[in-house]
Amino acid sequence: MSALVAAAPGVYVREASAEIIKSARMPQFAIPTIVLPPAFYALFALGMGRGDVEMATHTLATFGVYAVMGPALFGFGANVASERETGQLELKRLSPMPAGAHITAKLIATMIFSAIAIGLVYALAIYAGVRLSTQQWATLATVQILAVIPFALIGLGLGYRLGLKAAIAIVNILFLGLAVMGGLWMPIAVLPEFIQTMAWGLPSYHLGEMALMVVGRSDAANVWLHAGPLALITIAAAIFAWTGQGRHAA
Amino acid sequence: MPSSPSNTVARLTGVTKAYAGRPVVKSFDFALQAGAVTALLGPNGAGKSTVAGLMTGRLAADAGEIALFDLDPRDAEARARMGVMLQAAGLPESLCVAEAINLQAGYFKRRLKTKDILEQAGLTALAKRRCYKLSGGEQRRVQFALAIAGNPDFLVLDEPTTGFDADARRAMWRTVRAKAEGGAAVLLATHHMDEAEALADRIVVIAEGRIIADGPPAAIKAKVAGSTIRFRTALATAHLKMLPAVSKVDQVGADTALLSTDARVTLEALFSADPSLTQFEVAAASLEDALADIIANTVKEAA
Repeated sequence: MSALVAAAPGVYVREASAEIIKSARMPQFAIPTIVLPPAFYALFALGMGRGDVEMATHTLATFGVYAVMGPALFGFGANVASERETGQLELKRLSPMPAGAHITAKLIATMIFSAIAIGLVYALAIYAGVRLSTQQWATLATVQILAVIPFALIGLGLGYRLGLKAAIAIVNILFLGLAVMGGLWMPIAVLPEFIQTMAWGLPSYHLGEMALMVVGRSDAANVWLHAGPLALITIAAAIFAWTGQGRHAA
Repeated sequence: MPSSPSNTVARLTGVTKAYAGRPVVKSFDFALQAGAVTALLGPNGAGKSTVAGLMTGRLAADAGEIALFDLDPRDAEARARMGVMLQAAGLPESLCVAEAINLQAGYFKRRLKTKDILEQAGLTALAKRRCYKLSGGEQRRVQFALAIAGNPDFLVLDEPTTGFDADARRAMWRTVRAKAEGGAAVLLATHHMDEAEALADRIVVIAEGRIIADGPPAAIKAKVAGSTIRFRTALATAHLKMLPAVSKVDQVGADTALLSTDARVTLEALFSADPSLTQFEVAAASLEDALADIIANTVKEAA
C-alpha cells in the first residue's frame, strides 16, 4: 500500500464517473448513441416491417450489435485521438493514476450508454410483439454489451495513431462498412458473394450471427464457427491497440 | 558516498537524447534542489522542454541516468510527488473547472482540497465554468491548478504564463514562490527573462543541448560585467563598433544601444566623437543582454 498514490478503486470510480459526465454533456455523442439505434429500429422493424414479428426479431439481434458499435468506435477512436492530440493523455501518464484506469473507465461509460440504447431497442421490440424467454433476453444483452470490446479496441488502436480529423473520417467509413458488410442492416444472404466471404474477417458479422443464434434465427450448433474467428479478431484488435499506445503527438 | 544529499530532488547524469539522429541534449549533468526555483533559460529549440521531459519521465534518455527522488521517474511513487504543467495541453472540455481539478487531485493521497487549489490558482470565480468556455490564459491557470493539485515536491512548469495579463502573471509568480518556500523543487522552463529574473533562485542557461551557464541571476548577469548605454547619435554603426570596450551595437527605434564592458572608457570616446548626442542613458546590462552575450560567445567558440 503506497503512502502517496491514491487507492485504485476510488480512482477507477471517479474516472468512470468523469467519463460518463463527459459523454452525457456532449450532445453530439449522446444523441446519436442513444437516440439513433431505437429510431432506426422503429423505422425498419415497426414502420417497414408492418407487424412482421419474424423481421422484428431478426433486426432486434443485428440492430443491437449496430447500436453498440457506434459509441465504441467513436468513443474510443475520436475521443482518444482528441485527448492524445491535446496532451490530456500525456498528463494522465505523468500522474500516478493506475495505468489502464482511464481506458477501463471509458469502457464502463461506453457499456452504460450502449445498455441504455439497446434497452430502448428491446422496449420497442416487445411493443412490436417479439417474445423471448428471460434467459434469451439476458444472453442477448450480454452478447450485445460485450460486443463493445472488439470495437472499442479497434477504435483505441486508431485513436492512438491518428489525429482527430483523420480518426473521425476513418471511423465513419469503418462504422458503415462494418454495419453493411457484416449483415447488420440487411441479411448477409442478400449481399454479393464476395462480401459474404469478406464478412468472415469482420467482428460485426460474427457478433450479429451470435445474436441471431440467441433469438433462434440461426443454428446455435455453429456457435464456435463464429466465436472462434471473433476471438482471433479480438486478439488482433487488442494487439493493434496495445502497440499503438505510447505514441504522442509530436 | 555517491548518493545524493537529502535536498536533491532530481538528477540527470551524463544524459543524452537525440531526435531522428539529431542530438538535442548532450551528456547533460544536472541536479535540482528542493526549496528553490530553478529556471531553464535558452533560445527556442535549445532543449529546455526536452530536459524537462527527461526529468519527468515523459521522455526516455538514449544514454545516462535519471533519478527522481532516487527512483526511476516513471515509478508511481515518484509520480505521486510530481506535478507537471506541459507547454501545451488541452483540458476535458465538457467538465467544469472544479471537476477537472478534483479528478486530477484524486490520483494523489496527499492531495490539496479543491477549494484551496482553486484559490491558489486564482480560479475560485471560475470553479463552475466548463473548460471549453475558458480563455487561453484561464486554461493555462487550470493547467497550473492540475500541476499543484497533488501538493507536489517537484513542480515542473513549461512556459507557464503564456497568454497571461500582467496581474495574472504576478499572481501565479506569488504562488510559485510560495511553493518553493514551502520546500518544493520548482523547475521553470521559460524564454521570458523577466520571469526567470523575478522567480528563480538559480538560472541554468542552455544552448544547443548543453549547459553554458549556471548560477544565481546576479551571477549570470555579472558574467557580462558591463553596462548598456543608450543615446541618439548621427554616428554610423561601423564607427560605434570601433569605440573602445564596445561589445555590441543595437538600433532600438531612433535610439542606439551599446553594450560596453567598461562604460567609463566608452563614454569618454563617445563624447569626443559626437559632442551633440542626446537622450543619454546608462544602465547595468540586463539579464537579456547577458544571456544573448553568453550564447553568442558559446556558439562562436563552438564554430
